[in-house]
Amino acid sequence: MTTTTATRAPAPTGPAGAGSALAGTGTLVRFMLRRDRIKLPAWLLGITFFVVYYGAALPQLYRTEGDLRAISTFMTGPVGALIAGPGYGVDDPTVERLLVGIYGMYIILPAALMSILLVCRHTRVEEQAGRAELVRASVVGRHAQLTATLIVAAVANMVLALLIGAAMAGNGFDAGDGLLFGASVGAAGLAFAGVTAVTVQVTEYSRAAAGLAGVALGAAYVIRAAGDMLDEGGSALSWLSPIAWSQQTRAYVDGRWWPLALSVAFAAAAAAVGYVLSTRRDVGLGLFAARRGAPGAASWLRSSLTFAFRLQRAGLIGWGAALAAAGAIYGGITEPIVDAVEDLPADVIAVLGGDAANMLDGYLSVMALFDALLVGVFVILGVQLLRSEETKGRAEPVLATATSRWAWFGSHLTVLALGAVGLLVAVGGALGAATAISVGDAGYVGDSVAAHLVYTPALLVLLGVAALLFGVLPRAIGATWGVLGFGLIIGFFGPIMDLPQWVHNLSPLEHIARLPLEQLTWAPMLILTVIAAGLLAIGLYGFRRRDLETK
Amino acid sequence: MTTAMSVSGLVKTFGSTRALDGLDLSVATGEVHGFLGPNGAGKSTAIRVLLGLLHADSGRATLLGGDPWNDAVELHRRLAYVPGDVELWPNLTGGEAIDLLARLRGGLNKARRDELVERFDLDPRKKGRTYSKGNRQKVAIVAALASDAELLLLDEPTAGLDPLMEVVFQDFIFQAKAAGKTVLLSSHILAQVEKLCDRVSIIRLGKVVQSGSLTEMRHLTRTTIEAETAQPAAGLAELPGVHDVQGDDGRVHFAVDGEHLDGAIRQLTRFGIRSLTSHPPTLEELMLRHYGDELEANGGTHADADAGTGETR
Ligand SMILES: Nc1ncnc2c1ncn2[C@@H]1O[C@H](COP(=O)(O)OP(=O)(O)OP(=O)(O)O)[C@@H](O)[C@H]1O
Ligand SMILES: [Mg+2]
Repeated sequence: MTTTTATRAPAPTGPAGAGSALAGTGTLVRFMLRRDRIKLPAWLLGITFFVVYYGAALPQLYRTEGDLRAISTFMTGPVGALIAGPGYGVDDPTVERLLVGIYGMYIILPAALMSILLVCRHTRVEEQAGRAELVRASVVGRHAQLTATLIVAAVANMVLALLIGAAMAGNGFDAGDGLLFGASVGAAGLAFAGVTAVTVQVTEYSRAAAGLAGVALGAAYVIRAAGDMLDEGGSALSWLSPIAWSQQTRAYVDGRWWPLALSVAFAAAAAAVGYVLSTRRDVGLGLFAARRGAPGAASWLRSSLTFAFRLQRAGLIGWGAALAAAGAIYGGITEPIVDAVEDLPADVIAVLGGDAANMLDGYLSVMALFDALLVGVFVILGVQLLRSEETKGRAEPVLATATSRWAWFGSHLTVLALGAVGLLVAVGGALGAATAISVGDAGYVGDSVAAHLVYTPALLVLLGVAALLFGVLPRAIGATWGVLGFGLIIGFFGPIMDLPQWVHNLSPLEHIARLPLEQLTWAPMLILTVIAAGLLAIGLYGFRRRDLETK
Repeated sequence: MTTAMSVSGLVKTFGSTRALDGLDLSVATGEVHGFLGPNGAGKSTAIRVLLGLLHADSGRATLLGGDPWNDAVELHRRLAYVPGDVELWPNLTGGEAIDLLARLRGGLNKARRDELVERFDLDPRKKGRTYSKGNRQKVAIVAALASDAELLLLDEPTAGLDPLMEVVFQDFIFQAKAAGKTVLLSSHILAQVEKLCDRVSIIRLGKVVQSGSLTEMRHLTRTTIEAETAQPAAGLAELPGVHDVQGDDGRVHFAVDGEHLDGAIRQLTRFGIRSLTSHPPTLEELMLRHYGDELEANGGTHADADAGTGETR
C-alpha cells in the first residue's frame, strides 16, 4: 500500500500529492504505539489511578457534612482559585464536586504533560537523535510523522477520557458527568498536544520544545488562576486559558459539553499551524537558521564555575523572566481580591484570616509556597541537565581536563543553589512590588521577598536529594520529583487531609514558617541547611567514587 | 627508556560483560603507540580507565608516574584526550568549546590554536549542533593539539575526517612526535597506524594478543614467497615453518614463518633462483589473524605463531 502512494510522490498537488505526504502514517502509528507500549499505558493508568484513589479516599476524609463544608470554605476565594479552579458547586459540596472542582486541576495538569512529552518524543526527539532521518528516507510522507504523532496523542487522550469516565462510574458517581469530566481532561491534553505540535517546529532542541510547551502550560495556569481569582466562577480572563475550558464544563454541577468545542477547535488550529510551519523548515532543523556565534570563548569563561553558569544560564534567564512575570500578575490582582473578600460573609472572612490585611498576608504566604515549588522544579531540571551532560557524553571531555569531579559537580550545584536564591528574590520582589503598587503599601515588597527567601533551606534539601541520587544512584534521579510532588500535596492539601504530623514533617517545605502570616523561626531553617549540606556532601563523595557513564 | 604508561592485569566489567580482561600494555615516553582491535574489544574502555573516568575492578595502571584514578586532575594537566564520538554543547560555538576545554586543562596557546583552526579548515563560529561529524571531531582535535600536553590519548580521533584532513592530522602527530610527546592512538585506519606508529598493540576481548613494533610483528608472522627456479624446487614442505607449498615446473609459492625464512631461502638457492618475490604480511593480514572468531576455533593451527608473539617486550 505504501509503495503505490510513493510512486505517485512526484505529483506536487492534488489528492495524490496529499496522499503521498501522509504515506506511511498507519505504519508509523503502529510503530509509535509499539515503542510506547509501556510508557503510554503507564501514563494513562497512572492518571486514572489518581481518580480512583481520590474517589475512594475523599469519602473517608470528609465523613460528615461539616467536614465537607470546612474544606469548601477553605477553598473559597483566592487560595482555591489559585490552586484549584473556579470552584463550581463548592458552596454546596459533595464528594464528586470536590473531586472535580479541586482535585481535578491535578488530573488535568498530568494529562497536559503526558501530551506535551508524547508529541515531543515522537517528533523533535526523533529528529534531534537523527532517527527521523532514517524514517523519512524510507517510504514515509512529509507529514506522516506529525500526523501519526497527533493521531496517537488523540487516541491516548480519548482513551484517558473513557478510563476516567469509567473510574468515576466505578466510584459510584453519575456516569454521564463522569464521562464529561474525563472528556474535559482529555480535551486539555489534546489542546496541549496541539501547542506542542507548534513548539516542536520552532526549535531544533527537544528540550527547548518541551520547555516552550511547558511555558504555554504555565501561562495557561497563571491566566486561569488570575481570572478565577477576580470573580467567583471565573472571569473573562479565565476564558483565555485552555485549562479553563476544561474546568468550565461544570461536571456534577450543571454539566455542559460546549466549552470542549473550544478545546478541540484550538487543538485543530494549533495543529494546522504546526503543519504550515513544518513545511517551512527542513528535517532536523528549526524554523530559524542557527545563528553563528563568537569565534572564541569570552574571557570570563575560564573556570568550571563560570562554565556551569554558562550552561545553566538559559534556564536561569527563562525561569527568572517567567516567574517575575507571574509574580507581577499575581501581585497586580491583589486589590480586586481584597475588595472581593470584603464582600464575603463574615464567617468566611474569619476562616481566611480575620480581616482584609491579614487575608493579604495569607495570600502572600500561599504564593510564596507556590513559587518555592516552582523554583524546586528549576532545581530538579538543573540537576537533570547535569545528568544529560553526562549521558550525552559532553561531561567526558571536560572531566578529561584538569577539572576534578568535585569541581565539575560542585560548580553546577553552586550555580543551582545561587540560582534558586536569585529566582526566589526575583519572583518575591516582583510579587511584592506589584502588590505594593496595587494596594498602595510599600511594606509588601520586603514582606514578599522575605516570605520567599525563607524557603531557601528547603530548596537546598531538594537540591541535596537530587545531588545524592546523581552521585550514588544516577538512574533514579527522577525520584526527586516525588519529593517535590509530596511537598506540593502536603503543602496545599495537607491542612485538609487527616494525616499524622510525622507525615507532614517528611516534606522539607513544611518546616518553613509561612511568612508574613507566621513568625519567623530560625531553628528549622538551620537544621534543614545542615541536612542539605549532608546530602550534598554524600552526593559529591559518591560522584567522586563512581564510574562516569559514557555514551 | 622511561615508560609513559604501563598497565598490567587490568580488569573492568560492566555487569556480565568483561570489557577488559587482564589487559597489559606498556608505552615508552616519546613513542607513538597504535591501539588496534575489533569493535567492542575494549579500546575505549581502556582509555577511559587511563583517564580516571572509569574505575578498574583490579589490575594496575600507571600514567606519567601517577595513578589515573587518584591523581586524575594532576595528570590531566599533562595530557589531552580526543574521544571517538565528540558531542558538543548545542548552544556553544566550536571556538568557545575549544577555548573552554583548553583553559580548563590549564592554558591555551593562542597562536597554535589559530594555526590549527586554519590548517583544519574549521569554522569556529558555528554552534555545536550545526557541525558535521567530521567537523565535530576537528573541534576536539584542535582543542587537544593546541595544548602543550606531553601525552595524547586519541580514541579514533579521525573517524569521519576526509582524506585531506587525515593528512593534516598526520602532520601534527609527526610534529608532536618530533617534540617528544607520547601518543596512544586507537584507530581502525590501518594505513594511519602503519604510517604513524612506532609500536602497536592488538587487543581482543579485553586482552592484548600481540604487541611490538611492526617490523617485529612482521618478522614473527608468515611471509609469502614466490620464486622461479632453474629446476623444480623440492623438499620445501618438509622444512620447519614452511606452509602451503604449491608449485609446478619451476614456479613455487609458499608461506614461511619469519624465523624460518633463512632456511627456506637456503633450500631454494639449491635449485637456482631465477626470480624471487616476497610479500611481508600487510598490517591488514596481521590484523585479520587476530580479529574474528575463527581464531579461537582454529586455535590449534595458529598456536605456534601466537605463542611466539604474545609478549615481545
Ligand atoms: N558503560 C558500559 N556499560 C556496559 N557495557 C559497556 C559499557 N562500555 C563499554 N561496554 C562494553 O565493553 C566492551 C568494550 O567496549 P569498548 O567501547 O571499550 O570497545 P572499543 O574497543 O572501543 O570498540 P570500538 O572499536 O567499537 O570503539 C563492549 O562489549 C561494550 O559493549
Ligand atoms: Mg571505542
